[in-house]
Parts: sequence; structure tokens; C-alpha cells
Amino acid sequence: MDTIGALFHGFAIALTPGNLLAVFLGAFIGTVIGVLPGLGPTATLALLLPITIGMDMVTALIMMAGIYYGAMYGGSTTSILVNIPGEAASVVTCIDGYQMARQGRAGPALGMSAFGSFIGGTLSVVAVMLISPFLAETALKFGAPEMFALLFFAFICIGGLTGRSRAQGLLMATVGLLLGAIGTDDIQGVDRFTFGWLYLQDGIGLVPLAMGIFGLGEILYNIEKREAQGAILETPKSLLPTAEDWKRSAMPIARGSLLGFGIGIIPGGMPAVASLMSYAVEKRVSRRPEEFGHGAIEGVAGPETANNAATAGGFVPLLTLGIPTNSVLALMLAAMMLHGVTPGPLLLLKWPDVFWGVIASMYIGNVMLLVLNVPMIGLFVQILKVPYGILSPLIIMFIMLGAYALRNSVSDVLTTIVFGLAGYLMKRFGVEPAPLILAFVLGPMLENNLSKSLIMSHTGNPLFFFSRPISGVLLSLAILVLIYPLVRWTWRRWVRAASASGISG
Amino acid sequence: MNVDRFLGAGAILLAIPVALASWGFGVGSPKSPGAGFWPLLIALVMAGLGLTLILRPTPNAGREAGESRWGRFGISLVTLLFYVAAIEPLGYLLATAVMLLAQLRWVESRSWRSSIAIALVTAVVSLILFRVLLKVSLPAGVISLPRGW
Repeated sequence: MDTIGALFHGFAIALTPGNLLAVFLGAFIGTVIGVLPGLGPTATLALLLPITIGMDMVTALIMMAGIYYGAMYGGSTTSILVNIPGEAASVVTCIDGYQMARQGRAGPALGMSAFGSFIGGTLSVVAVMLISPFLAETALKFGAPEMFALLFFAFICIGGLTGRSRAQGLLMATVGLLLGAIGTDDIQGVDRFTFGWLYLQDGIGLVPLAMGIFGLGEILYNIEKREAQGAILETPKSLLPTAEDWKRSAMPIARGSLLGFGIGIIPGGMPAVASLMSYAVEKRVSRRPEEFGHGAIEGVAGPETANNAATAGGFVPLLTLGIPTNSVLALMLAAMMLHGVTPGPLLLLKWPDVFWGVIASMYIGNVMLLVLNVPMIGLFVQILKVPYGILSPLIIMFIMLGAYALRNSVSDVLTTIVFGLAGYLMKRFGVEPAPLILAFVLGPMLENNLSKSLIMSHTGNPLFFFSRPISGVLLSLAILVLIYPLVRWTWRRWVRAASASGISG
Repeated sequence: MNVDRFLGAGAILLAIPVALASWGFGVGSPKSPGAGFWPLLIALVMAGLGLTLILRPTPNAGREAGESRWGRFGISLVTLLFYVAAIEPLGYLLATAVMLLAQLRWVESRSWRSSIAIALVTAVVSLILFRVLLKVSLPAGVISLPRGW
């Protein structure tokens, strides 16, 4: 099936009433939780996972995807109007967005971030659609060593890119691997770290882990230390940017789309990373860098475009290789597995409806969000006025309910609380939890492919991986990422030494 | 105390029992790895990273000023543990209502009247939404629910 034909097939799936409703619900819920500080897309998807079991799989995924990119739209609203990022990817939008709002230009800031999000999101979906089939076909030829090398590369990127420091990120990722190793081992049936507890034989569930760390941890943190909420600025009447705004934003949007997509497909390339990098790039290339921080529209347009482009880009590795690049995508992977679909190169061949249905729904969702966001922004801002004192117990209730309902297990609720405490501590001490969750998901795949590769090698020599071109290149890349700071340090010392000797000589 | 140093020390302390346990699972050889091979590898990497963090820690992340509210934090944890213990014997409705009431009244300091009202309404509405409409199985417990719920 050629791409255009397949896309039409996808639209036929996405445009059924049920799926259209799922796109709408997803986009709507996503915007709401994006607006609400403290409840991000990860916690929301974890909460909804039990409900999706009863839904049709494509419908469930369409809704989950909608929540994810909807949250990116919603997150910018609070950044601009209240100076509180609704979620991590909108942190940089606060810098210039809030300044614009204070100068009475909240309308153009909100409008431009919605248009930028739309353009970045849509262009990125086009790229996902064009690249994925090619990538899946390549990945079909992968054996265990290639898969291991790819996963290892992903592991290093996740640990190295998402942590506060490289070593800390990698350590958290290693803890994730260890948590993933708990339970009965697949090959020999040995119980590992179960302490004789039946519950642990199946391993720790992703849902209690993610809900605990991202949902409950955040709430507990807010209970221990409540931050003062800033004044909500007046909701603007018109959101339309001026011609001058468009002229200044055109290039940042174009660059943000490219940058965002590129970062989105790299493991660990979270939307938050994309928006941060876009801001840095725009400030550097701008002819008016002094305006940044004082309400430069480029500082809103670029990052808001980039985070949406990265959101869509993340679907490439998820749908073609079965590798989630961030915790939200890890939960979508979990949803697919709950429905008996194994994400990976075979997804396009065996479940084309899943792939093309979700892709087509993303085109629809982006249009819907633009239409939804521009006139309804006032309504979304009203949500911010619900007192946190009511919201927080309700979120706790949903977390407990979600944890219990997935498998009717009290032990899952207890596990959620334990990881909630862990999440609280991480937040309290500034330790980034994302590498832990991602490595937890990748761990079993890594182990499985490593064992298979070693058995295949007959010698057990790790150099075996370098005797095959693809795995050799991927592992070399991973090592390069790992030792890059050391290389840079040595290079700088060498340059300094050379210039010093040049001066003295 | 530096967070990185603390994490590093914790990682090394954790790596030792993990390595010992892995040995017990059967490490095998690189040619035919046993069940303990992978966890042993993890333990070694963990210890190495722990050492790196102790030797080259990054400074702590700053935290915005503001008072800590340990009392509320403690009450919140107690209500969560109560929920774990109560959901099956008491049932979803009762356990949820009590947990919400405690959270609203003592953690969020709302008035008795609004706490009771919000807790009851939320518990009933969520039961109808999830158990009746979405068919998520939730324990009925001591309260006999209407037929068909």
C-alpha cells in the first residue's frame, strides 16, 4: 500500500464517529491537564490506562495521543498568563510569553503559540508518516545484536540527555534497569529479588510506577510545600498576531519544526528538551538578542513550535522500533501491550490500522486543537481558578482508583504509594525521574537481546557486536555519546596547552 | 549534604547485595548467560556510577524558599495507607469518602461542611462513572449497592 492510499485508509478509520469523539476528548482533556500545573500528560495517561482496556485499541491510542499533544497546547496558556508552566515543555515559554502578557500582548503570544504548535505538529506528522515505513522496513532486518545495540544507544542517550548531570541520569537509568529485572526471569524461570512475595513474581507494573512517581509524587510535593499562585492576567479579547508578529515568527517556527522533529525522534529527546534548545537557538541567531527576556515573540513561537514537533516526532521510534523515547510514550507502549499488540517493526505490517489510524487522527487533532484553543482560551483559564485545595484530593482519589482498578490489586495501590514517596523525594532533591522510568521499560528488552546475542556469538566476546556493521556503528555512537564530555575536556586542555606554549615560544 | 554524593553512596551500598544475590541466581558465562548475569552487570555499572557521583558531584539544585508543612504531609500519607487497608473490606464508596474527607478537612483545611459535601458527592459520582458506566470493577464492601450497579 502506497503512503497516500494508506493515509486515506487511516482517515477512514480516524473519521468514524467513535474515533472522532476520541480525538476530541483526547485533545480536550489534554488541554485541560496541560493548563493545570501539577498534573501532566504522564500522570493522566497512567490514570486512564485501566479504562482503555475496555476500549477498542485504535480508539484508545488515538485518545492517548490526543492527550499528549493537547497538553503541549494547554501548557503554554498558563506559562503566558500566569507565569506558571502547565508542564515541563512550556517552562521557557514563561520567559518571553509572560513578559508579552504584562505588556498587554497576551493575545498575540497565545495566538502565535497556538499557530506555531499547529504548524510544528502538522509538519512533524508529515515527517513521521514519510519516515516511519522506511525505518520499519530497515528495522525488520535487525537481529538480536542490532536490536541490542539500538537499545543500548537509546539507554545511553536517555541517561545522558534527560538527567540533571550525565552520571546522575545514568545512575537513575540503572536503577530503572534493576527495577525492571525484578520478577521471574523469562529464560530460566528463576525468581529474582521477589523476597518470596508472590506479587513481585510478575514484576513491578509500569502503571503503579509511573503514577506513583509522576502523579502522587508531585501531589505530595505540593502538599509539603505549596507555592504561591501568581495573579492571573486578564484574558485577552483577540488572539490574532499582527503582520509584524508573523514576519518575526516565520523563521523561528520553521526552525522549531525541524529542530523539534529531530530531537523528538532521539531517545530521551523530550519535548522539554526541544523547547529549551529552540529558545537557545533563537536567541543566538536573532538580530535583537537583547529583546529576549523582555517579550520577544520569537521566544514564544520557536519553543512552542518545537515542543509540538518533538511530541509528534516521538511516534517514529515508538511505532517503528517499539522504543518509547519518553515516559508518556512508555505508557502508550504499555497500552498497546495490554491489547496484545507488540510495537516494533512488524506493527506496520501486522496492524496497519493502528499506525495509519493514529497518524490520520493526529492531523485531525491538530486542526481541532487550533479551532478549540483560539475561541475557548477563556474557558481554559477559568479552570485555573478552581482552588488547589479541592483539586489535589480529587487527583489523589483518581490515582488511587487507577492503581487499584488496573488489576484489582491492593498491592498495586501500595506500590503506587511507595513510588509516590520516591517521586516526592526526587522532586524535593532535584533528581530527574524520567531516565528511571524509560530504563525500566527498556530493561527487559535490553537483557533479552543481550542474552540472545551472546549465545549467537558462540564465544561470548563483546567484540562480536563490532563484527556486524549496524550494531558496530550504533554501539560506537553510544560510546561516543558516553565519552563526549571527556573528549571535549581533553581537547580544550590540549588547545589551551598549545596556545600557552605558542605564546611563551 | 550533597545529593549526588548521597545517591552515589546509596548506589554502592545497593550494588553489593544485588551483586551477591545475582551470584546466587547463577551468573553462567558470557557464552551462555544465566539468570544472574544481567543483574550482576547492573550492579557493576551501578557501583561504577556511584563512585563517579561521589568523586565528581554536581552542586545541589536550589529550592525556592517557603515553609515545609510536615504535619499535612504526614496526615496525607496516613490517609493513603488507610485507603490501602480499607478499600476491600469497607468497599470503594466508604473508603473513598473517608479518605477524601480527611484530605479536604485536615490537609487542605476546608470547613467541615464543604469537606463532607465534596467528599460524598465525589465518591458517589466516581462510583457511578467508573463502576456503573465504565464497568471498572470496584469493591462494593459493606454497603449494599442498588441492583445493577
